[in-house]
Parts: sequence; C-alpha cells; structure tokens
Amino acid sequence: MSEVILDVQDVTKTFTVRHGGAGARGRIQAVGGVSFEIRRGETLGIVGESGCGKSTLARCIAQLLPVSSGSVAFNGVTLTGLSRRQLRSHRREMQLVFQDPYASLNPRRTVGDIVAEPMRVHHRGTSEQIRDRVADLFRLVGLDVSSLVRYPHEFSGGQRQRIGIARALALNPQLIIADEPVSALDVSVQAQVLNLMADLQDELGLTYLFIAHDLGVVRHVSDRVGVMYLGELVEMASAEALYQAPAHPYTEALLSVAPELDDGRARTRERIVLAGDVPDPSDKPEGCPFHPRCPVAQDICRRVKPTLEVADDGRAVACHFPRRR
Amino acid sequence: MSFATRAGVIRAVDGLSMSVERGETVGIVGESGSGKSVSMYSILGLLRDANVTIEGSVLFEGREILGRPDSELRAIRGKDIAMIFQDPMTALTPVYTVGWQIAEQIRQHTGASKKQARKRAIELLAEVAIPDPARRVDQYPHEFSGGMRQRAMIAMALSCEPSLIIADEPTTALDVTTQAQILELLGQLQQKRGSSIVMITHDMGVISEVAHRVVVMYAGRPAEIGTRTQLVREPRHPYTWGLLGAVPRLDSKRTRLITIPGTPASPLDVPEGCAFAPRCAYRFDRCEERPALHGDDHLDACWLEEPDKVRLRRAIEEAS
Repeated sequence: MSEVILDVQDVTKTFTVRHGGAGARGRIQAVGGVSFEIRRGETLGIVGESGCGKSTLARCIAQLLPVSSGSVAFNGVTLTGLSRRQLRSHRREMQLVFQDPYASLNPRRTVGDIVAEPMRVHHRGTSEQIRDRVADLFRLVGLDVSSLVRYPHEFSGGQRQRIGIARALALNPQLIIADEPVSALDVSVQAQVLNLMADLQDELGLTYLFIAHDLGVVRHVSDRVGVMYLGELVEMASAEALYQAPAHPYTEALLSVAPELDDGRARTRERIVLAGDVPDPSDKPEGCPFHPRCPVAQDICRRVKPTLEVADDGRAVACHFPRRR
Repeated sequence: MSFATRAGVIRAVDGLSMSVERGETVGIVGESGSGKSVSMYSILGLLRDANVTIEGSVLFEGREILGRPDSELRAIRGKDIAMIFQDPMTALTPVYTVGWQIAEQIRQHTGASKKQARKRAIELLAEVAIPDPARRVDQYPHEFSGGMRQRAMIAMALSCEPSLIIADEPTTALDVTTQAQILELLGQLQQKRGSSIVMITHDMGVISEVAHRVVVMYAGRPAEIGTRTQLVREPRHPYTWGLLGAVPRLDSKRTRLITIPGTPASPLDVPEGCAFAPRCAYRFDRCEERPALHGDDHLDACWLEEPDKVRLRRAIEEAS
C-alpha cells in the first residue's frame, strides 16, 4: 500500500457566534473530532448533508481556517501551528477546487492570467516558461489555447470549472481538495468534469479529497468514503462496502432515499424516510448526535456517545448498534 | 414562446404539445435553458411583457386559458392551478407570518372569514407535517428550516384544493433526506386529493421515482415523451441516452460516465435542423432537417430508424 499523504487527527473547529441581541454569544462546533488518513493516489470521498461540516473540514485541512484542536499532517509534516510563511511551500502541494465556478474566478482578469497567477506568486519560471505552461494546462483540461485571452464571463459553467482545475494543477500539486466541484453543473457537463478529473488522476498520480453531497457522484469517484453528520464522521469504509452494506443507520437511510434510475438494474431497498430536520449544530444532542432521528436508537444512544470503531475489514463506524449483514 | 431581446429573438419554447390527465404526474426534464420552466410559466400568464410572444393553445379543464385577461387568470392561479417553486422564499414574503400568508390566499379565493382562514391554515400546516402547527402559524418564514419552508409553500399551494400543481424543481435546493420527505408528502397528498402534478426537474433520478409520464426537453423543444419505464428502460432519443448515461450510479461503479460532448445549445443559436445534432454522435445528413415528434404513446424527435435506435442503445448499455 502506498504511503500516507494526509493524516488528519482529531480535528475540531468551533465558531463563536452572536445569538440574537445583547451580545449573547454561543459556540457552534462545526467539526468535532474528525480523524482519517489518505494514501497517495487514492480518492477519499466525504459525503454529508448541508451543515454537516464537510466544507469547514476541507478549509481546516487546507489551512484556510485555523483548527480549534487536533492536527493535520501532510507528507509527514504537521501543518497546524505553522506560520503563514512556513506554510507556503506546503500549500503548493495542496490545491483547492471550489464549487462555484462563477465566484471563484476573478471577473477582471483573463483566464490565462488566472491560471498563471499561482506560478507568478510562487516564482515558478520566467514569464515565457509560465506562458508555455499555461498553454499546456489548457490543453490538459481540454480547453482551447486560443481562449487564454478571454474573460471568465465568456465561458460556460463547465468550462469555468476546467479553468479552476487548470489553476489548481498549475503548481503540480500532490493533493487536490475538491469541494462540491460538480454540483453547480448540468448533468451532461458534470459527467465531462468527473471524467476529466479521473483522467488527470491517472495521468498525474494525483490524490483527491472529494467533498460532495451527491451520493452517486461520491460513489463514482471514490476509493473510500466517509459519511459526516453534525460535524462528525459516523462511518468510513471502502466505497464498495459502504454502498453495498451500510453499517450506520444514517448511511443506510441516506442511501435508501437517494433517487435512482429505475432501469431494472437498480437495487431494491426499503426506503427509510427520516423524520424531522438535522438539529441545529449550536444545540447538538447529548449522546449519539444522530439519536433523535435514528430508527433504532436505544436508551444508551441518548446518554453515551459512540466512538468511531475500526473493525478488522477496515470499516469504521460510530454506532452502538451497527447494522450487520 | 419567444422573447425579443437585444441580442435577437429567442425561441425559448418551440412546439411543445403535451397533456396531463387527472391524478397523473408528468415530469418535465431538461438541462439549464431547455425551456422547461418558462413553458409552464407562460401558460399561467406569469410572463406578461411586450417582449414576450406566446402562440398556441392551452386548455385547462376544457377551457382555453392562453390570452385570458389577468383578472381571469388570477382567479385560476392559486385556486385551480397552484405553483411550487425551488426557492420557497420566492413564494413566501419575509415580512408576514406564514399563517397570515396562507390565510390571505384562502380569503382571496374563497371569501372565508379571517378566523376560518386561520383555522384552515393551521390544519394545512398539520397536513404537511409541520410540528406544533398552532404555534408555527404565527412564525415568520425565517424561523422555519429549509424543509419546513418548502412544506409551508406546499401548504399554501394546497390551500384552495387545486386540481393541478406545477412544481418547479421543488426539491433541488434540499438535502436528500429532506427531499425524500417532500416527495413522499407530495405523493400522499396527490393520492388523497387526486390532483395532477407537473414536476419540472433536471434530476433523472427524481423523475424516474415520481413521474408517470416524462417529457424530455432540449433547446426548447420536446425530444422525447413517454412513460417513465419507456424513458428509462427503452429511451429512443440520443439525448436521453446521454442524460441517463451521465448519471453516476449508486449500485455499481462504472469506469467512465457517458458524456455528451459540448454544452447545451444556446437559445440564441438553435440549429436549423435537429437542435441536438451538433452534439449527437449518431447524426447523419437527414438531421439538417428538423425531425417531428412522432410515435403513438412513446414519442421522439429523431431521424434514426427504430431498429437502429434499439441496436445503438444496446451497444451503449453493454459498453457501460
């Protein structure tokens, strides 16, 4: 097995927020004690509903947000606690692709400039070398080199996401953190971008941390998948195992209601429609965070918080009563 | 239906014919700019502007509603035909309580008293499974979660017992567990009241779970119309093949998704012949001429011969 490229240990992120009036302050734990490793060349998918903390986790890993506690190590170097200056050389190796291809590109710069920017900032080569590299990157992501001098608004959503990917690849990173990279795109364009990301991974040996809410998309791209609920990892396993036989009741419910094409090949699974909404993260339930909506919750679930237990087959689940098959 | 714009005339919807039976759910599926939403907005008279031209005929319960004066349409909208939007805040105003807004609609259309209307609003909130409706009725939309707002909007849509509900991407902004709740709710309400639903969405998965019949739109034109089983299991139009093949599946990992090259046709620049031809891998000479929607209960607008369609579709399925 290849070496560990990213090691996330017990990462917690707490925000202080003002509630209502009179300066009353509350604390929201957006990420609560998340740990996992990613190995070189693999794709780890993180899936969860809105507000589960998956994007905050991505920002903590990329050191765009300071963690409240815990550590993030990249290529064996602990990044948490490093100064901005010390971080710089590591940041090159770890790049982000964002969800909104409309908001993440500067509308006043040409797309060629946007893709060249990281190389200029990191002093990668002469302006001629940079120009050649930009042209190479455009070809790599399937864009016409003649469009270098155009502005973001002249491109479609899918093309903009290709520009965002080209920018992320400019410094030859090892790890790409992609936060909902295809959720703003039409399905036919989404498929193009997903295929492109797979090709780039093969060609450049990239490692992906792929964050999304779409279960089908995550299944498609990931080797392993982690499921988040209320800021915590509730289950993590190989994509195959997780989708075939989910162990956590939340994963099971999530998969059972994901709309699927009924083309005669689809699985027949009983639909589990959860009652209620995801609780407010500022008012997290005692015990297991999922117990108020869990169809199999027992008394212990209300009192004792289950820890993420790793089984022999590498599957990890945080539940007192995991489903067995 | 066309828009006159500075950049030229846009035919946003071009030759759409469809029918909805009582108690039936018809899905309209397509990508951005396919005309799926504007087609429904235009029949309701929601697009009233000097630059908008609408031609054709729309019969609702046997009566022509296209071109009716706004005063007549206002009596129909909300009462006989209700709309549910993707973003509940387009239908709910933030400055009044949820209960007031539902009651207002009831009073407008039925002449009920304030007290009766409020009582009915509480019943409706209970019907769409909003917890503690007697308290929630006096809250403002911002005090509701996203799923609850969607429920409140459905309650408002149902308030006058409409015979047709047009739902425009009603679950697109929602999480999958909330989406499941809302789709289940719509299904239950439909069974109970026998109303018809037109569901507009880009999600083939949602369509294949809720719709009886499906209309696939491309560049403002219907590409294929059939039952959901026909559409999903025996799709005939190459665009439908592409749409279905591009959806990542939960049950098996495909090595590659089927993609449609290029981007959806710009409404400003729809090709003369088949609108999909420039992106179609199977185009031939005849595609320069526009194909008509043809067939009996399963219709499609493609020049390929039937046996060729079956052969090609099988080949695609085997390859994936």
